[in-house]
Amino acid sequence: MEPADLALRRRTYAFLVEHGRGPTPAELGEPEEILAGWRRLHDEHALVLNPATDELRMLNPFSAVPTAYRVQAGGRWWYGNCAWDALGVCAALHEDGRLETSCPDCGDSLVVEIRNERPDDESLLFHCLVPAARWWDDIVFT
Amino acid sequence: MNLFRSEEHIVRWLGGREPGATISVAKLSELAHAWWGDRVSKDWVPHTREQNTAILRRLGLVGGFWTLP
Repeated sequence: MEPADLALRRRTYAFLVEHGRGPTPAELGEPEEILAGWRRLHDEHALVLNPATDELRMLNPFSAVPTAYRVQAGGRWWYGNCAWDALGVCAALHEDGRLETSCPDCGDSLVVEIRNERPDDESLLFHCLVPAARWWDDIVFT
Repeated sequence: MNLFRSEEHIVRWLGGREPGATISVAKLSELAHAWWGDRVSKDWVPHTREQNTAILRRLGLVGGFWTLP
């Protein structure tokens, strides 16, 4: 990864952490330059753009759009892209937190409190449908 | 990549589809902290395939399902 793209990625994530949302291109600089950099970062799996709009879709583990995985951490609510990423929000911020979602089978609410990197309810299970070799074939589905 | 109430709920949700891999939420938290812990660090650089493979192996996530491309 080129140093300029690494720096752009760093600024993009720093904006997210400071503001609690992903930036628009214009909030980081000259929009076409920022978008070109984001497209390179997308190709390197360092972030994910919405292919139809070029807007940020994922700053993994954070989601830039609402999802079924809400996380409270560091005094803010965030969205994770999936259960793994939702716990990753606490990991990335180095904060305890609270994950709220629902069981995809029955729809019941599931709440997990994370304290010192441990979940309070260890009875819940995580299921990953797609093998690791194919995670990036369609990262939104994964 | 979802959380479920129990194994019974996973089976019902799959509805006959080929299952993937199931781990406890405690293991998932270990994985998340190892995988994402440096993600907003100023010093972050992309993990290599070898680094990510080492994380999976350390947590016992081995075999074809967990083999990275």
